[in-house]
Amino acid sequence: MGNSVCLFMNSMEQETQELARGLRRRDPDLLDELIARYHYRLLRYLWALTGNRETAEDLFQETWMRVLERGHQYSPRWKFETWLFAIARNLTIDVLRRRQPESLDALLCPEGSRAPHELHSADSLIPFESTAAAEQAERMGALLQRLPAEAREVLVLRFQEDLNLDEIAAVTSAPLSTVKSRLYRGLEALRNLLTEKEA
Amino acid sequence: MNPQDHERACRLIDAWHVEGIPAPEQEWLDAHLAECTECRAQALTNERALQLLRSVTVRADPALVSVTQARVRLWARQLRERQARLRALWVSCALSWVLGAVTAPLLWQAMSWLGQRFAVSQAIWIALFALCWIVPATLVGAVLVWQHSRAGGVNNNSEVFL
Repeated sequence: MGNSVCLFMNSMEQETQELARGLRRRDPDLLDELIARYHYRLLRYLWALTGNRETAEDLFQETWMRVLERGHQYSPRWKFETWLFAIARNLTIDVLRRRQPESLDALLCPEGSRAPHELHSADSLIPFESTAAAEQAERMGALLQRLPAEAREVLVLRFQEDLNLDEIAAVTSAPLSTVKSRLYRGLEALRNLLTEKEA
Repeated sequence: MNPQDHERACRLIDAWHVEGIPAPEQEWLDAHLAECTECRAQALTNERALQLLRSVTVRADPALVSVTQARVRLWARQLRERQARLRALWVSCALSWVLGAVTAPLLWQAMSWLGQRFAVSQAIWIALFALCWIVPATLVGAVLVWQHSRAGGVNNNSEVFL
């Protein structure tokens, strides 16, 4: 049991080392693979950050361009997705700051942004799945949009992306205590919204 | 059941999701939830909210993925070409500096001879020598710095903190 855990850890470590080497070499095949593997999670995160489909898609492309440029900065001590989300977040803040230089909440919830559920591509799902998923996403999207951006972000990172608290702290460049308090507040707000909605 | 128990249970329910709780706390919470409908309802609401959050699906347009892959490939090629150009530039600059250093005594003698031949004052031919030696080196240095900032600083306005 101990040996298999050790072997697993070694292979994980080897994988991240290879990933770091590939990123330093700017290996296009590796980048292709990473885009295919992480596109869903990255888009979901960007969508949660911005609440806007077009902005999320633009930032999606720009994030990968930056991954290519900054590949040499990737450290194998972090999971790739942690680094990827940190890049995406910094880029989002840069882009939105240029458009609207206000608070983080204002930056992450630009006025006129559309509800997250609009990201569903109706023709990419079969009709029943599409309707059910769209309805569920619509409900959740509306709820999420009512949360403060900082709380929404950590909730998404913790419960959708399954990052641990240290990784969330690294992505958001916030102290661990701040991440925790945002999570507690976010969870409470989400629960209240759900209860309110059901009442 | 006293209000402190409810308060503790509520705190533990959230903590369980956010950061996990130790086994003794977990046992206490399980026992409390088995008896307390109010706290059980809160635990269920939490579960439902998070289940809903996790169930949100986002589908990316396949074209977005392929367009991004194509853009990244193109950009990777351009960066590689730029890097190769930069390397060639460094080599030629290094060569020019080495040649400049090696030929400095010859240039000095040539300038000195020309100064005497055309009766130019010493200050002028020394200034000409300095110009001949410094200007090309300064120019290539400036080109190098410019190229380097172009290659490295495509998007320097935000840093990745990891």
